Amino acid sequence: MSALKDALSFGDLPISERIGFLIFIISCLAFPWVTKGSFAQSVMIQFLIFCLYGLGWNLIGGYGGQVALGQAKNVGMSAYTVALMMVWWDVPFWVSTPLGVIVATIESFILGYFLFRLKGHYFAIATICVSLVWQQLFINWDLIGGARGVELPLRETPNFLYMQFDSPIYYHYFAFLLVLGAILFMNWFRKSRLGYQLRAISAGEDIAESLGINIHWVKVKAYCITGVFAGMGGAFYAVYYNYIDPFSVMHLELSIMIALMTMIGGAGSMWGPIIGAMILIPLDRYLGTWLGGSGVVGVDFMIYASMVMIIAAYEPRGIWGIIEKARIRGSGYGFLGSG
Amino acid sequence: MVFLEVVELAKRFAGVVANSDISFQIEKGEIVGLIGPNGAGKTTLFNCIVGFHKPDQGIVRFKGKDITGFKPFQTNREGIGRTFQIVRISGDLTVVENVMVGAFCRTSDRQTAKEMASEVLHLVELEKEAEARLTELPVAAQKRVGLAMALATRPELLMLDEVAAGLNPKETEKMVAVLKKIYEAKDLTLFITEHVMEVVMPISQRIIVLDGGQKIAEGEPKDIANNEQVIKAYLGEKYAEGRKDRGSV
Repeated sequence: MSALKDALSFGDLPISERIGFLIFIISCLAFPWVTKGSFAQSVMIQFLIFCLYGLGWNLIGGYGGQVALGQAKNVGMSAYTVALMMVWWDVPFWVSTPLGVIVATIESFILGYFLFRLKGHYFAIATICVSLVWQQLFINWDLIGGARGVELPLRETPNFLYMQFDSPIYYHYFAFLLVLGAILFMNWFRKSRLGYQLRAISAGEDIAESLGINIHWVKVKAYCITGVFAGMGGAFYAVYYNYIDPFSVMHLELSIMIALMTMIGGAGSMWGPIIGAMILIPLDRYLGTWLGGSGVVGVDFMIYASMVMIIAAYEPRGIWGIIEKARIRGSGYGFLGSG
Repeated sequence: MVFLEVVELAKRFAGVVANSDISFQIEKGEIVGLIGPNGAGKTTLFNCIVGFHKPDQGIVRFKGKDITGFKPFQTNREGIGRTFQIVRISGDLTVVENVMVGAFCRTSDRQTAKEMASEVLHLVELEKEAEARLTELPVAAQKRVGLAMALATRPELLMLDEVAAGLNPKETEKMVAVLKKIYEAKDLTLFITEHVMEVVMPISQRIIVLDGGQKIAEGEPKDIANNEQVIKAYLGEKYAEGRKDRGSV
């Protein structure tokens, strides 16, 4: 019960953050009614999916300080589980999604158990390697569609059992609910024992260990939760696009995007991933569309890279770090428990 | 039953002998100091007991249980707390939250952890700084935060690594007072390694001296202060010779 109370209580946050959160909720609720453009609506849904990924990655990458660059494979495994079960056995979304999440979580557990013997850069490199292996495996595995990917059978809409709709509004609200759940979870998490232990680990493993924290186990636990978030995002991705292939859901680029976005927004803070997604996702999609036809390839990546460099040089804690600094300077006293 | 027992402990790093053949015992409720010149192997010995290093040889027993080769979090759960020379803790967290991290190894409830943390902060006289960020505090206060974090794990044996390093005489005095206070309040056994003699000499009941990785002396502080081998180790052979000539031994 106290966990639920912690998740629902935002009382310890400064009033400005609570107002910001309220504005976020209202604008997400109102968005489909204000904007009718289908491109804008699809960007919004992608923003919400990335919020989900980012909030999950923030656990291990932000609070835990472990640069794990393999979220895409968890997204992909869950997406594939959902898609293949629908294609092969007509399993409804609500049955296959938990299974997809479980697959993603088990993979995280096994991988985390072994890879967390490595530290720092070595851990990051190992996660990249494993992602590449998985992607190659999925590309060459004909049984699950190989490089052609998997197309979900079309059904009569609206279909809540298989989550197929004509209108993006349904997807929008479903994604929003997932993000809202993720935010409430993070709100519990940052006040929980696991949250404190992870932050202690990212500050210094020696001290954390001497304070009775089994750092290996805590990291594995956090990595599994990150896998759950990625799994939920992946399941949603499959039914939203009705089509998945190893290049869209298993790609390293996706993993890097999730990490970049969280770092730009502010890793290790509650709102960082959302701020990062708010900036990077629309930028990415609009730039991609505008520049896509003009033959200028790679400008979007140049822009992200310069953003990362500027932020790394100016404020390593990301945009949220800049906001917090300004606030502390403004009030003349540090706030308690933000982030 | 001996509280802490170290038997013939040895540790080498790629041929460099950091500890060799060290044996000693600590009884419950004692305050024992561990001194020695730079590079004598004090921190290595600490790390071997706590579990950051696995000893190459020897046995560490705590309350009769063989804890040789345990991981640091395991020795902590057995009841050994440890502080570090440099306090490197999360700048994102406030002082009380950092101490709560320690308390969280005994409870999973946030409210209980907070109460435990507040109690410990009161003991180290930091209750006013509870809501400050660690980076806002002077070094002396940071050191006491480190002490509070270790104390919050409710240790029976507290191992202090250079608690007074980098402190001025006044701060050192305060640290000694705090140490005495926690010793009396918490039914602790203290094992202190220290450069600063003003800390070790007045509070230790017994002192162990290391030099070159070996135990060269053990005894009460006043005997240690006059021990020829110890003087040699600290001040060099020549000084000890001169001292003998002047007939001051």
